[in-house]
Amino acid sequence: MNAPLRKSVRQKRGRGVAACWYGIARTATIDRAGAWAELDDGGTAKIITGVTEIGEGILTVLAQIAADELGIKPQDVTIGDNDTARSPEAAHAGATRQTYMIGNAVALACREARKRLIKELAQEWEISEDDIVCSNGMISTLDKTRCITISEAVELCKNRGVVPVGSGSFTANHTGLDPENGSGSPWQAYVYGAQVAEVEIDTETGEVQVLGVWAAHDVGRAVNPQGVEGQIEGGVVMAVGQTLMEDYKQVDGYPSTMNLAKYILPTSLDVPEVSSVIIEDPDPLSPLGVKGIGEPSMIPTAPAIINAIYDAVGVRIHSLPATPEKVLAALREKRDSADSVEKSAKSI
Amino acid sequence: MANFDIQMTVNGRQVSQSVSPHLRLLDFLREELHWTGSKEGCGAGECGSCSVFVDGVLMKSCLMPVAKAQDTIIETIEGLEEQGKLNVLQQAFQKTGASQCGYCIPGMMMAATAALRANPHAGREEIKERLGGNICRCTGYQKIFEATELARDVMNGTLPDDLLKQENDEGPFIGSNSFRIDTSSKVTGSLKYAGDMVMPQMLHMQVLRSPYPHAEILEINTSAAEAMAGVEAVVTCNDVPGIDGFGVFTDDQPVLARGKVRYVGEAIAAVAAEDLVTAKKALKKIKVRYQQLPVITKPEDAIKTGATVIHEDVPDNIVMHIPIRKGNVDKVMAESDHVIEDTYYTQPVEHAYLEPEAGLAYLDADGTLVIQSPSQNITHHRHKLAKILDLPINRVRMIMSAVGGGFGGKEDMHYQGIMALAVLKCRRPIRYVFTREESIIASAKRHPFIIKYQLGLSRDGHIQASRIHMLSDAGAYNCSSEGVMRKAAILAAGPYAIENLIVDAIGVYTNNTPSGAMRTFGAMQSQFATECHLDLCAEKLKMDPVELRLMNFLKEGDETHTRQKLGSVSMLEVFNSALELADWEAGISNSRGSTRSDLGNPGNRPPCTLGAREFPQETVSAGQSA
Repeated sequence: MNAPLRKSVRQKRGRGVAACWYGIARTATIDRAGAWAELDDGGTAKIITGVTEIGEGILTVLAQIAADELGIKPQDVTIGDNDTARSPEAAHAGATRQTYMIGNAVALACREARKRLIKELAQEWEISEDDIVCSNGMISTLDKTRCITISEAVELCKNRGVVPVGSGSFTANHTGLDPENGSGSPWQAYVYGAQVAEVEIDTETGEVQVLGVWAAHDVGRAVNPQGVEGQIEGGVVMAVGQTLMEDYKQVDGYPSTMNLAKYILPTSLDVPEVSSVIIEDPDPLSPLGVKGIGEPSMIPTAPAIINAIYDAVGVRIHSLPATPEKVLAALREKRDSADSVEKSAKSI
Repeated sequence: MANFDIQMTVNGRQVSQSVSPHLRLLDFLREELHWTGSKEGCGAGECGSCSVFVDGVLMKSCLMPVAKAQDTIIETIEGLEEQGKLNVLQQAFQKTGASQCGYCIPGMMMAATAALRANPHAGREEIKERLGGNICRCTGYQKIFEATELARDVMNGTLPDDLLKQENDEGPFIGSNSFRIDTSSKVTGSLKYAGDMVMPQMLHMQVLRSPYPHAEILEINTSAAEAMAGVEAVVTCNDVPGIDGFGVFTDDQPVLARGKVRYVGEAIAAVAAEDLVTAKKALKKIKVRYQQLPVITKPEDAIKTGATVIHEDVPDNIVMHIPIRKGNVDKVMAESDHVIEDTYYTQPVEHAYLEPEAGLAYLDADGTLVIQSPSQNITHHRHKLAKILDLPINRVRMIMSAVGGGFGGKEDMHYQGIMALAVLKCRRPIRYVFTREESIIASAKRHPFIIKYQLGLSRDGHIQASRIHMLSDAGAYNCSSEGVMRKAAILAAGPYAIENLIVDAIGVYTNNTPSGAMRTFGAMQSQFATECHLDLCAEKLKMDPVELRLMNFLKEGDETHTRQKLGSVSMLEVFNSALELADWEAGISNSRGSTRSDLGNPGNRPPCTLGAREFPQETVSAGQSA
């Protein structure tokens, strides 16, 4: 038998799809975050808030938000953060809440600081506050007859005895669940996602390779699309690990996968190519319209892979991870019993 | 063992020093020379975070005794910058957003440098193989591949170096790929994580952990450890001045075991000493007498009548039960054309953030207790610590140090309390850095679930009723179990309109490693079952699984399973976008075999194959610019 033919017999490909939904920020409880802003000398700004970066890129997101609100550049924003004795509470780094909760708090704080600056400028120029705009490091009248740098504006403001500072507190009005029937409004913003996975299965070894994942996620307004993609790619790969190889094992309560030689993680050779498309359905209940992506990015991956395995070889894996041993056992069982048992009953 | 003299060149500087022979090259670089850019992720050569060049060859410095580095030329991440500017590869990592938490990045940068030194024209598959010894938990690797390819092409002159610049410098910035403002600190190794920090007079802490999954503690004798030279403090639960107990939802976990241990790896006592070796020796001198207790390792055993009680105040071992009820499931299920049921299982999962837990604790000049650690929840930890230490809340100051990956695993305050007790006892700065093994056994895991799933459907595929029963192993302590059960329950039935529904999520105590917060907080487990089950239903109904979903999706104005009226619902648009992106071919699963036309489309990587891959001859020389 020649090689290509053998390959077509032995290696099988298939595709699966899965959807997901997720709620943004803390669940079934009111959520809140605070931030302080100051338009600083030299056209820069300080933003102070209570919790930020765990790697997802929130520092950059906050800098972009502050930059747009204040008419400056992200690199001119200094973020002082993460210190319970020096910064306002922003609660925790989790629950896909940071862009939504802290991003909106920063926007509100910046708006207050900007308003304070513009008020002084309006009095100095003897025009209405509504006739002044900030952008691109400049502050000007709508008709452009007056135009100065933000740096000059801050100096002018301070010479009038005012420091342009602001604070923001953002609230997400979630309600608790009824203890009997679970009714309630656990989140005010929901996101949705869907992914397609393509797998190749070696029917002699049971090994599953995920070759491609195509992901679509609604994230609300995307602040940094490359960062969103990074969250999708990272989430997909974390889920590929859980779907195919990761398994924290204990024997009678004694851990047996205590290091990274025993606890197997995806490496560069295990990962699929990930293609993503970002859907922006803005949140109507918040100043920025942003939502989030950190967690939901990994939800559809595992079922999409498991459904793809079925498409490829006709076996359903019910327990994670879908190791080569499990896949082989399922293939053997399928071969052994041509009769498939319809598990259909009227009650559990 | 006697010290010996060692000479080497590190990042272009001559180094000559007397060292202890037990040091590894990584220890020497980090602890003696304070080149902390190279990171320890596993201490076993598995993760690659410690990768450096030794005489031009990529090596894992955690595997190399320092004596082996005698008279070598060492290059670390800190040596990559060229005249104080990011080199092309570093700029490419910045441009593509290839660093997230940054902890793996020093090692990854060295491996990518090695790949391009070995073959300046390496293709993607070769780059992947050459990065195969370096683990990244955040990025999914894709942007790291893209960065390496971009650097390759710019260095080879096949792409202009303009491509390394930021695309939008004018604003508005929302919606644009602004450079991450923390990238340069991550690609140069300058960012300090907690384990990289030092203070004058700093002590080192080690923790004694339970060898048993369930045991009564009869006695803890610390006198021999306390008597050792170099030991400044030994702490146990007796040192807690306030109300002991922490947790995300209920405070069921003592800072240090009190009366009993409930899982292998539970902290019992801690030593703060002048150096790590003394602290480790002192741990061995702490004598603990145990009376082993019956062990529960399966959630189904935990809820049996008469089961061993793990927490005395929770006699049924149930941590949290979240019910959701809507409509009349019994009646509608009985009337459905099809009733399809199955059971799904998910496993416990380790977060495996590349940065093991670490902290630096000290007293401020005014006596305020300060803890710097990669905590995902400093506000909450401050509340808990003030109560445990019986201090006013403003006398406890929590600083979130750079987090080398969290994924929920750094929400639990499982070592900061121990550090606080030790600092208050000896009033000197203390650093505590976990080993990988310690991190794995002591920290919480993703909750494993057993999910019994039953769906009633009409002949044409409309979901009539859903019954979902989830039993989950919360392990020895609550951690985030209450919230995980809640989120699992609310989202379990998926983004589908279902009028009749019963959902139960039940988390129970066992003597396994605690389960806690991990990315999706229960929602990936419950929706895994839902999405697998829908495909099973499609199979039984001989339908296209896409069609089945399309006819059941939630839409604007629908009520959720918790009876919340929804505003805009993007589900349909999102789903169709994924299908379009994948160029999905409609049809019934497992019916088309290789005739399925969308297989092998662009967007797939080539499959890995057995056998050696042929790459061009390697040429490596020390100091050669990447």
